[in-house]
Amino acid sequence: MKQKWFIFFLSRSLSERKGRVFLSILSVALAVSVIACFISITAGLQEKLGAELKPYGANLIISSSKGEYLDADVIRKVTGIQGVEDASGQTYSIVEIQGHAVEAVGLDFERLKAGGSRIEGKWPSKKYEILTGINLKNALKIKAGEEIILSKEGHEQKYLISGFIEKGGSEDSSMLLSLEDSQELFGLNGKLSAVLARGNSLRLEEIRKRIASELQDVSVKTIKQVASAEMSLLTKMQSLILMVTAVLLFAAVISIGSTTGATVIERRQEIGIMKALGATSKEIDHFYKAEALITGFAGGIAGFIVGYLIAHLVSRSAFGTFGQVPWYVFFISLSLGVLISIVAGYFPVRSMLRLNPAVILRGD
Amino acid sequence: MSYLVIDNVEKYYGLTAALRGLSAEVPKGQWVNITGPSGSGKSTLLNIIGGLDSPSSGEVIIDSLKIHSLPEDELAVFRREKAGYIFQQSYLIPYLNALENVMLAQYFHSMADRKEAEEALKKVGLGQRLFHRPSQLSGGEQQRVCIARALINNPEVLFADEPTGNLDRDNTKVILDLLRELHSEEQFTILLVTHDPFVTNWGQRILSLEDGRIKKDELHA
Repeated sequence: MKQKWFIFFLSRSLSERKGRVFLSILSVALAVSVIACFISITAGLQEKLGAELKPYGANLIISSSKGEYLDADVIRKVTGIQGVEDASGQTYSIVEIQGHAVEAVGLDFERLKAGGSRIEGKWPSKKYEILTGINLKNALKIKAGEEIILSKEGHEQKYLISGFIEKGGSEDSSMLLSLEDSQELFGLNGKLSAVLARGNSLRLEEIRKRIASELQDVSVKTIKQVASAEMSLLTKMQSLILMVTAVLLFAAVISIGSTTGATVIERRQEIGIMKALGATSKEIDHFYKAEALITGFAGGIAGFIVGYLIAHLVSRSAFGTFGQVPWYVFFISLSLGVLISIVAGYFPVRSMLRLNPAVILRGD
Repeated sequence: MSYLVIDNVEKYYGLTAALRGLSAEVPKGQWVNITGPSGSGKSTLLNIIGGLDSPSSGEVIIDSLKIHSLPEDELAVFRREKAGYIFQQSYLIPYLNALENVMLAQYFHSMADRKEAEEALKKVGLGQRLFHRPSQLSGGEQQRVCIARALINNPEVLFADEPTGNLDRDNTKVILDLLRELHSEEQFTILLVTHDPFVTNWGQRILSLEDGRIKKDELHA
């Protein structure tokens, strides 16, 4: 019954002070909308950044822990693991060319191409066409369009050099064959030396452990150079988001705090008379907290909607796309609305409640 | 022992003394007017007796209760159970109508009761103004709402600080007649601060203050 009257007086306070309540909701909504907009844009940016990082290539390498070759089936299994964005097989062996021992790698040319590797000449498009590392071009005095013979343990095969690759890594001194050609030359019968996978950069360690636990007899390692470069970029991005959000939050609490402070001073007679009528500080505090909760809630929802729309407009005009806003942005907005509203009102109400009713009513 | 005892109450604002060791006793049901020139300490004394302000030293005992030794929550209980207050300014909640302002006092006391609140407002002649907001009421009407609010919980003692200070003579008379009528019906104690000689004559006893001390304490005929 007492609760019914609490709600009654609360609703009167909110409904009969529409202008003030609207201003409170508006100020909370403004603060929340800026934060929600910022988080929405950056969350979308992170997704976009993840996609942009793909050319960095694989960040996990899976090989047999027993030193054996892997079944081709491993690719399918790895791809099916949550958080794995891509996986492909590779083979490695030493082959002989013009009496020299050279490293040969069997891989998927399409993935190499998608990674933006620079080549001189053409990409292999037919069987027995290969790429040669740029360092071998002068060492072996070979040209694009020439045919060469690679041999491995007595097995020989003629290949056409379609171009030279320059990546700045070990590939520059290797022969690159299609996966099928390499398996034929190395006599692997469809097996793989390793599987290279790309996992979500933000959860790489978790994904690495998951692969290791779900597949038997494999060793999963992080390709540190790639992973650390990506992590550093993403960590910087996250720190930036956190810092800007903290600054915005601080500014919002200060500005709304001063507005609320002024409102509480304006309503000091109300607090004074409530005390004189025998209300305890706790009862008065509950009343103002409930008001703050409702205005914060409404401001949080309104702020989310406005922030979402602004983020949509900004992202569309600046980046051409607007990804899905993560569900947590709504809850963050709502929580921030309530938090800002309650924190902003807490100190002015508290300081007022500490005073004697006569002092409050006198307005000292 | 008297119903209300003021025991050597002092109040200082920094180095300035507002009350200088003031003592008095008031029997239950007496109407005491506290008067004196501006700055004599009469409102300060009333606030301290009513538990709205605290003394620098001394004590106020009401119905054997040392009110300034009470913890905050118990002092709140004293205010809602035993006391009623009327001020010079009406201090009504602006967004509540007359009826709801009275019901708010009931709510903090125990439970809001619309019928009882309506009766109280009818008693002070506001039966037709129940749903008017304070801004829609005249000064005299606002003070009558305050009287209804102050008395709705049947207090033992009514503290009134210049209740007619903002009213013209006609409205002052209406308010004082009303208080006299209610006082004779309910027999509560009244402590009323005024500097208006017209008002002073309505009580049963006059405490005259000067410079924070009781200058004269006399019974009124």
